[in-house]
Amino acid sequence: MATETKLSHTAAMILQAVEAGFVYGFSIMEMTGLPSGTVYPAMRRLEGDDLIRSQWERQSIADAEQRPPRKYYKITTAGRTTLQASRKRYPLLERLIPTEPAEVKTV
Amino acid sequence: MNPPFERGPGFFHLGVLLGASLLVPSGVRAEWWREWHAELWHVRQACAQNGGAPWQVEWDVTAFCLGAFQDALCVRRQRPQRHTSLAASQGSASHCMLVLAGILAASYMIAQVLPGVRAERRQARYPVNPGLLLIRDASYKDDATPTITGEQFLAWKGRTQRYFNGLAYYRIGRETVSDAPAKGRSHGRVGWEVARSSLNLFALLGVPLRLAAQNGEEDDKMPRVILSEGIWRREFDGNPLIAGSVVHLGSGDVRIAGVVPDGAWKLPGRADAWVLESDAEIRANGVGGVGHVVAHLTDLGQAAMGGVHIHITELSGDESEDDLVGVSLNQLTPSPRMIFLFAAVMALLALPAITSVSLGEYSLSPQRTSWPRRVYRWGFLSAKIGLFLPIVYFVSLDLAFARAAFAITTSVYIQLASTFLMCLFGLSWMLKDQRQRCPVCLRRVEHPAQVGQASRTFLAWNGTEMMCMGGHTLLHVPALPTSWFSTQRWLYLDTSWGFLFAGPGAGINNEGV
Repeated sequence: MATETKLSHTAAMILQAVEAGFVYGFSIMEMTGLPSGTVYPAMRRLEGDDLIRSQWERQSIADAEQRPPRKYYKITTAGRTTLQASRKRYPLLERLIPTEPAEVKTV
Repeated sequence: MNPPFERGPGFFHLGVLLGASLLVPSGVRAEWWREWHAELWHVRQACAQNGGAPWQVEWDVTAFCLGAFQDALCVRRQRPQRHTSLAASQGSASHCMLVLAGILAASYMIAQVLPGVRAERRQARYPVNPGLLLIRDASYKDDATPTITGEQFLAWKGRTQRYFNGLAYYRIGRETVSDAPAKGRSHGRVGWEVARSSLNLFALLGVPLRLAAQNGEEDDKMPRVILSEGIWRREFDGNPLIAGSVVHLGSGDVRIAGVVPDGAWKLPGRADAWVLESDAEIRANGVGGVGHVVAHLTDLGQAAMGGVHIHITELSGDESEDDLVGVSLNQLTPSPRMIFLFAAVMALLALPAITSVSLGEYSLSPQRTSWPRRVYRWGFLSAKIGLFLPIVYFVSLDLAFARAAFAITTSVYIQLASTFLMCLFGLSWMLKDQRQRCPVCLRRVEHPAQVGQASRTFLAWNGTEMMCMGGHTLLHVPALPTSWFSTQRWLYLDTSWGFLFAGPGAGINNEGV
């Protein structure tokens, strides 16, 4: 039986936000209301546990919009499994952050 | 792209991120910085678009930036810096520098603590007046032995001198000091080493006196006494108002006229106090006693002074000739720096007798090292010598002045011998060490392997091979120099050797070659 990663409510909320399409740090901060000192370290840990993975936006896209490229995060298969377990543990998670993506970014 | 970082707060926020980035391990710092820099741009844009007071915008952005410290610490915990083990770093240039710096710091700290070294440093603050001679009877070999009577001194002083323009005299004896009436304090009856000296002794030596009483302040005929700093502190509690007080010394009262600072007295003999006497008092009190004469050379005398010693013939009181020797005071008390320099130069001259001064053969290699590598190599050798010489200086001081009671000559000989030996063998070690350092990474080559047989020296190669654990080079050292292999040679390894050096920190990297 595979060991399931148990997430804190904050980590589960961030994972839920990534699943919902909030794919970079600042958007997750805005969505969850958590400060940067909580969101970014949590995302490091989630990435370290292979629950999310990061990818840099293509430079050409950023150049076209005259802004620096961003680092986007995407939930992994293991992350989805863990999130399913976390939703059972924290039933209000889906209500807090609906899974309908607010914005879809092309990476 | 036009990042809004031009204004003052923008620079402040970048500074905050920069400070946080220093906590991030160097391997991931660039990516961390890139992400936070990009996020900062977007945060600033978003905050500006949301409206609100400018201070509110700056406050929100600042709060965002402060979170970077927590993130940096998190990254740091996730990816701790790789600490190179001591065993792995041994033999590297930085390890060598670290060891030398550690020894230097230890020797310096010991020098700061040892009372003898501290006393020597105090002495260095009071240089001896140039042109001073200590005169003794030629029949005695030891400069520290008192040999001159008061009558002899007065007889010479009474004559016109061509070579001297100042003569002073002192003789040391143990005397009893009792009550100090002026201070109303009873010292009991204790013995002091008292120097009975001519009035001009301290003026001739150029020794500055502390708490010196002004001339004419005490207009009486009472002899003046100068105290040593040790006695002043011990017996008078360092009383700054002591000048002018009267103590009973020997057979009469004397008035305290000043204090000689620690380290200022460099003549033979240790004294607790100096009683300044007129010529008449020297004549009256000095019957049968012997002491030292200090003379100051005129220009003519200095021109006649060819070396450390000079023979002097003087007419004594009964018109017979005295055979005397004058010793330069500067030579009598050479400074530790001069001794160090002298011994170091002597060791340098003797170095070729015990080792080859060559740094090994680099030119025979088809691959010449680049000039930055050569500068690095020479810089390392210079730094090694730069750390080693102060080590020798401080260690020699520690040894020479380990005991404050050492005689000056004992300390001089100890410092001379220790400096010479340390410089000789230390420089020899440094050259050997340098010859065995990889020209690419300056790591010491290791794992010596004997190759060949001594009996086949002239038929095949016989010697030792060592390798750089960074995988850059092999060093071949012939057991017996021959016409076709006279000195050690470096073999630079190419990337095909890489599989042998798969350990951490190792790898073929000959870009700098």
